[in-house]
Formats: sequence, structure tokens, C-alpha cells
Amino acid sequence: MAIADGVRLPASVRDEIVAHAREAGGVECCGLVAGRDGAATRVIRCANVAATPAVRYRIDPREQLAAFRAMDGAGEQLFAIYHSHPATTPYPSSTDRAEAFYPDAAYILVSLRAGAPEMRAFRISSDPPGSEKTVREVALSAG
Amino acid sequence: MPVTVRLPGALRDAVGGDNKVSADGRTLGEIFADIERRHPGFRERVLDENGRLRTYVNVYIGEADARQSGGLDAPVPADAEVMVIPAMAGGWR
Repeated sequence: MAIADGVRLPASVRDEIVAHAREAGGVECCGLVAGRDGAATRVIRCANVAATPAVRYRIDPREQLAAFRAMDGAGEQLFAIYHSHPATTPYPSSTDRAEAFYPDAAYILVSLRAGAPEMRAFRISSDPPGSEKTVREVALSAG
Repeated sequence: MPVTVRLPGALRDAVGGDNKVSADGRTLGEIFADIERRHPGFRERVLDENGRLRTYVNVYIGEADARQSGGLDAPVPADAEVMVIPAMAGGWR
């Protein structure tokens, strides 16, 4: 999926991610964005099963499996992985980098620390594979 | 009869770039050994130094979680699809 030149999110997808973050309150929300032909199509909310969800997220592996199957069945691909930072900047932490294993997907972070939602998108990858991961912000736009 | 092993995410790098490979074996360990023969280094990406599934790797044989089904000894039916799924995780601290 070509995300190098930016990530376009339909308003419905952006609004759904923000709504999820608001509902999650002080814990990190998480989920996936499905896509088709390089365009984001829908949000798949997932449960955060991390032991300390206020500061960590881990998508329920069973829900992850179900999401992959649902996307396959609908002819969709993984477009992005999102999560919230309830009280800090929407920038990938060292934990986010260390635990990022989807170089072809966009990593979308949303923060509500200032009240109004702040959303940013990144690519987290290792090139060559296995080397230290790098974070590159990609432009996020509506559409 | 080979089974299909799907590898979404970064693990496809470990098998030459495809997110799907065929492998022979009757257990998960045999499947991984077959992939390792053709793609040296794969095993290290999914197993730790004690030969256990890395914490960030989840494996499903059909609907069965391999960790709950014997780990590397988990049986793999001939018509099964094996999904090797890296975790989606992180957090600000």
C-alpha cells in the first residue's frame, strides 16, 4: 500500500477514530483501518488487552485474526493501525517503535490532551529488515 | 500435502517478500523447519532463544491458538491455514 506520499482519511473514518478515543477516556484505544485499492474504507475497533491500558495498547489477538479474515472476505487490506495517547503527544514513543511490525501500514496516533483531537500519521519501518526502526511522518489529509 | 502459511506484516520480509508461503509438515515445528530450510533466518524471527514463540508473534492453526495447542508440537491438519501474526501493540510508555 503506497502511503509514502500521504494518508487520506474519509471524514467518517477520522470521526470514528476520534469517537473511539473519546469513549476510551483515560485509556488507550486501538483498532485498524481497512482499505481497498489504497484508500481507507472503514474502522475496525478492537479491544485493548494490555495489562496497563492507560499507557500501553495491545490489540486482542483474536480480534486481530477476525479482522484479517473479515478484510480478506471483503476484498480489503490493512490500511492503518491506530491508537490514542490520552495525555501525551500523538507521536510514536520508543515502545510504539519497538512494537511496530507492520511497515506497509500507516500508524495513526490521536491525542486528546488539548481537548480538541490531534491526529498524525507515521510510517514505522526497518530498512534493511531487522535494522533499527525509523519513524517517518506522512501527511494526513481529509478526503 | 503442503499447507498455506500466511505472514502479514513485517514477517513477510523473512520469507522473501511474499505474505503467503506453502510448507510441509504435520506439526507447527515441522512447518517452521520447512520454511527455515528455504528461508534461513525465519526461525529466529518467530522463535526466541529457548525455541518458544516470541511474545509478539501469535500463531493460529485454523481457529486454534498454537500456544494453547502444544506450541511447536501443535498438530497441523493437511487442509489447515496457518496464520503467523505479529502483535499490534505499543503505548506511550
